[in-house]
Amino acid sequence: MAAKPKARPVSRRDAGKTAKKKEAQRSYVRFTLAQRVEHVLMLLSFSTLGLTGLPQRFASHPVSLWFINALGGIDNLRAIHHTAAVVMMFGTLYHILVVGYKIFVERRRLTMLPVVQDARDAFGVLLYNIGLKKIRPQMGRYTFEEKAEYWAFAWGAVVMGFTGFLMWNPVTAAKFLPGEFIPAAKAAHGGEAVLAVLAIIVWHMYSVHIKHFNKAMWSGRLNEEEMLHEHPLELADIKAGVADRPVDSLTLRKRQRIYYPVAGALAAIMLVGIYGFINIEETALITVPPQAEKVEVFVPQTPTPFPTPLPTATPTLPPPTPESALPPTWNNAIGALFAARCSECHGDSGGLNLGAYASASAGGVSGPLFVAGDPARSLLILKLTSGEHPYATLTADEIALLEAWILGGALEE
Amino acid sequence: MRRCFDRAERKHARIILLTLGLILLFAALASQAAGRAHASPSPVPPSDNDSCLFCHSEPDMIIEAGAEQVLLTIDGDKFNASAHGQEQVACLDCHVANSKFPHPTYDKSSPREFSYSIYTATKATCKACHADEAQSAMSGVHEQTLDAGNHNAAMCADCHNPHYAKGAAERAEATEVCARCHSEIAAQYKASVHGKALLTEANPDVPACVDCHGGHSIEDPRTAEFRNHIPGLCAQCHTDASIMDKYDLSTNVLDTYVADYHGTTVTLFESNTPRLATNKPVCTDCHGTHTISKTDDPQSGIALKENLLVKCQRCHPDATANFPDAWMSHYDASPQNFPLVYYVNLFYKFFIPAVIGGMLVFVITDILRRILNRLKGGAH
Repeated sequence: MAAKPKARPVSRRDAGKTAKKKEAQRSYVRFTLAQRVEHVLMLLSFSTLGLTGLPQRFASHPVSLWFINALGGIDNLRAIHHTAAVVMMFGTLYHILVVGYKIFVERRRLTMLPVVQDARDAFGVLLYNIGLKKIRPQMGRYTFEEKAEYWAFAWGAVVMGFTGFLMWNPVTAAKFLPGEFIPAAKAAHGGEAVLAVLAIIVWHMYSVHIKHFNKAMWSGRLNEEEMLHEHPLELADIKAGVADRPVDSLTLRKRQRIYYPVAGALAAIMLVGIYGFINIEETALITVPPQAEKVEVFVPQTPTPFPTPLPTATPTLPPPTPESALPPTWNNAIGALFAARCSECHGDSGGLNLGAYASASAGGVSGPLFVAGDPARSLLILKLTSGEHPYATLTADEIALLEAWILGGALEE
Repeated sequence: MRRCFDRAERKHARIILLTLGLILLFAALASQAAGRAHASPSPVPPSDNDSCLFCHSEPDMIIEAGAEQVLLTIDGDKFNASAHGQEQVACLDCHVANSKFPHPTYDKSSPREFSYSIYTATKATCKACHADEAQSAMSGVHEQTLDAGNHNAAMCADCHNPHYAKGAAERAEATEVCARCHSEIAAQYKASVHGKALLTEANPDVPACVDCHGGHSIEDPRTAEFRNHIPGLCAQCHTDASIMDKYDLSTNVLDTYVADYHGTTVTLFESNTPRLATNKPVCTDCHGTHTISKTDDPQSGIALKENLLVKCQRCHPDATANFPDAWMSHYDASPQNFPLVYYVNLFYKFFIPAVIGGMLVFVITDILRRILNRLKGGAH
């Protein structure tokens, strides 16, 4: 910036060469403390919105995934995004009230309003940059670059606010608008976000950080030389005494009496708007928990019926008929009966062994097989007749034979 | 060899040889415990099964288990024709503890408890030959449920009949196997677009139960983890053009889902906290789980706005008639479908480069001007 000593027509307006050095020390208020605080607030909320918004716009990108996970997941990220959005809504509300005050109460000059001269200035800067013009246009309190950024921000706030509302409150929105507006809002929100972030990087960063690191937003002041370089027409106005002058206190109070109730009402309306924005519906955020389909998991089918017992449950071997006169003994009937009908299981495999008279008499784990002479108290008969022996029971004839055997003393010979 | 096959020729001498047979059997058990995967097949049925079948072929071998009954009858011929029979598996290979008589006492308080006590006694044997399957099954939801004390859950033999199965069930058959316990779900499935295709035309492209749930290591489908993974599961087929083209179905369904608010959220959830439940819908929440129908089904098809609205209202109870259009129905925005979205995108496609490009013109020419001025200044 220092290498531009020629283009300085305003220097003629300076009081004199001697005063010039002193003048250079003088500084001018560019932004009040309130404006600087407002800027920090907007800077923080905008950056937060950008940082938490772009990963949602480009959710499948690995960097987005990393960032979302670093913040503890998408729900956290969205909560932060929404919080930042609310901060920006309050910032916007505040800004509207302050601008209203400046316009209607203080009757300031509308230095931020875009005018035809801005287009001329922009064109002039371009011509100067490419060498078709010798002198860079001189601008006032807000240059065309600053106005472009301010109004771009305002436009962005409107678009983002409207589309944000649609996404935040889709059910409510769809009551008044076609449903398609909601994915369209998402598309616009994402597009506008990319535009805003790129504009901040290209336009804002370059203008106030790279081209010349402008500290006015932090210190609040610009010195004489900076004013001369960046806002020569404003400087001239200040020196000429035609810049904003304080309103006399009587008029001020009169206007305030009108403005404050209006601003209060406006603030109330906007606060209700913000409250509604946040709270009008919850279903999209805290929905009912996912409901599984109502279906019983375990509903067994009716089991296949068991096969009806076949009438062939009759013994494969005819019961050995006892010698008509002789009582049954192990040797003449019982041994053979057991061998044919029982010893497959009640053999050597353990427990009751009906393979031989001696082992059969000894019985099994439940006790002796019989009580000689008393079939009614004999385990063999009890088990077979009570149904305790679960299957492969003997026929009535066979059981009668065994009873006769026990009654006769359960003899071997 | 573990079995003495020449004994089979002398079946009639069974009773006399029983003692000898049992001794040989124990020897056989000992050798198979040392690790038999598949015995060499032989057409001769194992003789030592006959001693079991002596009782267990009784057609009405029914025991009481609690208030119900259990049938212990085994059809020897069917067994011999089964996969296990063909592989010469002996009864006692699995029912190790039943070599003695009387058999050990099993829990007869109910048929399920009876089955469970046999399962605990025999599952080590299943594992010995079917190691991989058993390993997977041990981590499955059925085993978890059994471990938790609910013995209604499936044990090996509930799905694979160890006595008569000739091998793993066919796809359509497998559905019937699951239906034994999950009959309500199976009925839904059979009426669904997938189920109908499988059961009526044996369509190989549609999923049977096991295609989504797995065979042995069946994951609990009621967990958040499973739910979060559903889009990936459906996408396995629904993004495969070789299958979808046959039915003129879009393969764009996953991309369009992921691009939407719901899908983005679920995808991010799955990548970050797969075990945490999200309330955003997955495929099944709109399309149905087992009740999936064609989207143009006049009864339940969700291509019809009023059908879709019902689904929307499950999570957005206040949703009105316009609301379903907020979901782009898996369409990419185009002048025909969702034109507003299409033109918004188109606008920004040109607006962003135009604005930023304009800014860059100022910035770049400014930089050049500054360099040139500095050079000139330096020349002075």
